[in-house]
Parts: sequence; structure tokens; C-alpha cells
Amino acid sequence: MLARQGLGLLRQPITSSLLSHSIKLSSTRLVLNRSISTIKASHEKEQELLIAQRKNRPESPHLTIYQPQLTWILSSFHRITGVALAGMFYALTCTYAATSILGISFDSASIVGAFATLPFIIKLGAKAAGAYPFAFHIFNGVRHLVWDFGSQLTIPGVYTTGYIVLAATGLLGTYLAFF
Amino acid sequence: MFRSILRQSRAFNGTTTRNLATATTTSVTPRIKTFKIYRWNPDTPEVEPKMQSYDIDLNHCGPMVLDAILKIKNEQDSTLTFRRSCREGICGSCAMNIGGRNTLACLCRIETDTAKETKIYPLPHMFVVRDLVPDLTHFYKQYKSIQPYLQTENHPADGRENLQSIEDRAKLDGLYECILCACCSTSCPSYWWNQQEYLGPAVLMQAYRWLIDSRDQASRVRKEMLQNSMSLYRCHTIMNCARTCPKGLNPGKAIAEIKKQLAFD
Amino acid sequence: MLSLTSRVGLARTSLPIRSSIPLLIRGIKTIPQPPGYIVGTVNDAYVPPKAHKLEGSYHWTSERLVALGLAPLTLAPLLGGTSTLLDSTLSVLVLYHSYTGFQSCIIDYIPKRVYGSLHNYAMYLLTFGTGVAGYGLYKIETSEEGGVSGIVKKIYTA
Repeated sequence: MLARQGLGLLRQPITSSLLSHSIKLSSTRLVLNRSISTIKASHEKEQELLIAQRKNRPESPHLTIYQPQLTWILSSFHRITGVALAGMFYALTCTYAATSILGISFDSASIVGAFATLPFIIKLGAKAAGAYPFAFHIFNGVRHLVWDFGSQLTIPGVYTTGYIVLAATGLLGTYLAFF
Repeated sequence: MFRSILRQSRAFNGTTTRNLATATTTSVTPRIKTFKIYRWNPDTPEVEPKMQSYDIDLNHCGPMVLDAILKIKNEQDSTLTFRRSCREGICGSCAMNIGGRNTLACLCRIETDTAKETKIYPLPHMFVVRDLVPDLTHFYKQYKSIQPYLQTENHPADGRENLQSIEDRAKLDGLYECILCACCSTSCPSYWWNQQEYLGPAVLMQAYRWLIDSRDQASRVRKEMLQNSMSLYRCHTIMNCARTCPKGLNPGKAIAEIKKQLAFD
Repeated sequence: MLSLTSRVGLARTSLPIRSSIPLLIRGIKTIPQPPGYIVGTVNDAYVPPKAHKLEGSYHWTSERLVALGLAPLTLAPLLGGTSTLLDSTLSVLVLYHSYTGFQSCIIDYIPKRVYGSLHNYAMYLLTFGTGVAGYGLYKIETSEEGGVSGIVKKIYTA
């Protein structure tokens, strides 16, 4: 087991005449000068060494090196848009709760009034920032529900439904933001 | 054995003797392809992992990525470490991240565009034993936890085989072919973040394989094991698993079927 | 000649802090994990958490049922027709949907095995926030014409 975990324990070079002979002869890039020998270790000692080695092992790179694929990109969009929309929903409802508890007068007229005074381009940007994530989350949510019934769960299905969701998001998002 | 090493070393010295079936005549212009490979040495753990470049002439190399890394190990750098065995996609040893996606090096063609370099990493978000060798111990322990073997209470009357109809046997197609290379599990973001508790697509597909086996009688226990927030339900149907599987299997669908079975359980 | 310890890669036990860990998270105290995530020997099977249907299938099924209900309810205000009853139902379902969504994020990114009590605090904060949001929702539905969808509509037509 030790050898399988990459633990060749080196103590001293083998002085077998046959081996040293063969090393002298091979002037190649085949590196044989580090001969492998093993030491006797008890089972407990083996375990200790293994655990100590595990502590040193680095974690291989993941998110930063993985190829962007429709599968996980859309999934991450789904979560990001979900968190953003839920955050807006909580912000709105919690503002109502807080103002009512603190006795500050607050209603939809004050939000709408404040929003109306903004420059046109910022209003449009804000509307788009709400509309596109909303449309995407709705359509992708339906896609997930279809999957949960066991349908369209193949790679062609995943990609076709993915493109449909993106197209539908473009249409509904544009409609809600601009019309 | 030493004699064979000698013979091999002579072969490398005398460049004339070595010819691959795919090698062409000497007049062809060399097609130099750069491979960038993840390196980390456990003997010097204080040195951070780094990417090392190797140049290979594709005219003198087999078509698969495994051919290329074997060529590098044979001729350029014998310290490059990776697992390989069958070279035909049935053992699952050479699973690694090639060009950003998880696959078997022996089934992955070398991208012939020599202008682009190919990057090779070990399977993502795993502890690295050395270079391209990840530690799969926890993955195997998870596989063991789903009890991947037939469990029956009553034995066949004739004391011989556990028989199964052709239709029931057909249900196992697309499930039993899994070679446990861990490509799918290590492509799954959920497995990246929670691999200690989430079983991952490969293991869950095998859990499903034993759940729907008509001969198995332990499905109550098998389902019970998945009834928590971590083991099964960290799956968010991202589907990286089916996208990356080098055997063309669909673990995502298997997990969805488990969820359906459990829905009103 | 290498010494025994350096050959097995244990010459230095203190490693440099991996630069990949974001600065913000480095300050937070986390529970040290078993090396290689391996508990016991290589031959012991992994032990799953205790069965708990409320966190398992019942939770999943309730999430799907709510999502199924949300789909047509979201359409109603988009197509023009809504009422206080419809909007209240929609809003309550959205609240539950958001709650389980946030919960899922906490389980994914602030797992208990790593963050311990921080995980619990995040859950308490979420539950408290949801309670406050629920009260706010009650205020909206009782005081605003058209409820939540009415407010959104007013903003979009402003």
C-alpha cells in the first residue's frame, strides 16, 4: 500500500554490481541513478506517514481551469439570478416591515416617486437589470421542473432546452424592460 | 530484465531504430505541439504546483493525449507521473483534465492545431498525490458506502442463480458500464464544494444501479441512506457529469430517477 | 543523498498559505478537516449523515410543489389580471421559494462541517429575515393596491 501511495522510501543505494553496471552503460535520458529500496515499517507507522503526507497535498485547480460549458454556466446564472431576485424581494418586504415598526411613513408612492426622478437611461438600466434575470430564472426554473419529471435529461435535451431558455429570456426580458 | 532496459536504452541512443506506424518520411515539416502539464512533487511540498511546458512533434507521436504524455515520460522527463493502464478506455486510470474538461487521456485525441497549446491538469478539486495523480481514496470509500453488491433475503429455490427477465436486465444498461474513472464526480461543482458529504454523480449512479436491480432486496436500506440534505440532494442538476462522461453515460438522469423514486417515499 | 524524511516529503510540515484562498475568507475561523477528507483507514466505508426525511425527500418534494405552483401564478400578473388573493398566494410562495433557495446556498457554501456555528448563525439570520419579510409582506398586502406585483408594475411604468 505504501508504494501505491507514492511512498518509495529511500535508505541507501543498492550496490548490486549488475545494476551499477547497467547504469554506467545507459548514457540515456532514462534516469536510473535513484534506485528504489524499501524499509520495514509497522502498520501504524505506515498510517502515520500516509496521514502526514495527506496534509501536504495541494488541491488541484477547478473552477478557474474548467472549460465554460452551457451546463454549468446556465446553472450558475440560475443561482445568481435567484439570489439577486430573492434579495430584491427581501429588501422590499423588509423595508415595509422596518418602516412600519419604526413608524416612518413609507408606501409604494415614495418608491415610484423616487424612481421617476431618475434619468431615463438609469431607469432603463434598472428595469433591464430586473427584467432579464427575472425572465431567465422563470424559464430556467421551468426547464428544471421538466428535468425533475425525468424528461429532456440527455445532453441534446439539455442543450436544446438551454438555447430555448436563452432565446425566451431575450424576448421576455426585452419586452419587460423596453415596452 | 536489466537486459531489456539495456536494449531499450540503446534504442533511444540510436535514433534510427524507432519508428511508429503513424510516422511519416523525414521530409515532412515538424508539427511541434506544446503541452502544458501540471506538476507537483511530494518530495518538495513547500514548492507550489506549477505548469511545465513540453514540446512534441506530432509527426512522431500517436494520435491520443496518452500517447503524447507517454512520449514525454519516455523521452523528455521520466519524473512526469500519471496513472495509465489499458490505453483503450476500459480501466479508467488515465482520467485527467485535458483542455479544460475531464476525460480519459487514452480516448482523447490530441488537438492537431499546433498554434494552440494543450493544458493538462489532474482531475479538478482533488488532493494531488503527485503531478497528474489525484487521491481517489475518499471517492472509493464513498462507493463502498452504497454497498455496491447484490443483497437478497431469500435465495433461489434451486440453490443456483438469481434469475432476471430480459426486460429487468435491460434496465441496467447505461448504468453498469461505468468504470469509476471519477471524471463526472470531479466535474461537478456541487462535488467540488461538498465532496466530503455529497456522494457525487458516479457513486449515485451506482446507487441507482443497485436500487433498480430486480434481484436486489435491500432497496429500503439503500433509500434510507440517501435521506439527508447532503448525500443526494446536493445535486442541483447542473449536468456537467453527463457532458463530460468519457463512456457516454448519463449520471444526471440516474440521479433524477432516484429523486423521483424518493419523492413520496 | 537525501535524508529519509525529505524523501517521503515530510521535511517541512508548515506550508505556505495557498494564495488561492481569498483574503476575506482567510480570517474566518474554520474547523480543520481530516487530511485528504479521509476518516478511518482506506478500507472503511464512508459513513453518511443520519437519515432525516424533513431534510431529504420531503424538503425536495415541497420545493418542487411550490415551484410548480409558482409557474402559473407568475403568469397571472404578467397577463394583466391579478387580485389581492392571487398576489398574496404568489408572494407567500415566492417567500418560501426564496427561503429554501437561500437555505440551499448556505448548505452549499457555508457547510456546517467547515463553518460550525457560523453555519447555524447564517441559518438563524435567514429565518429571522424571512420572518421580518413575512411581516412586511402582510403590511404590503393590507396597505398597497395590487400587492407586490402592483408595486413592481408601478415602478416599471413610472
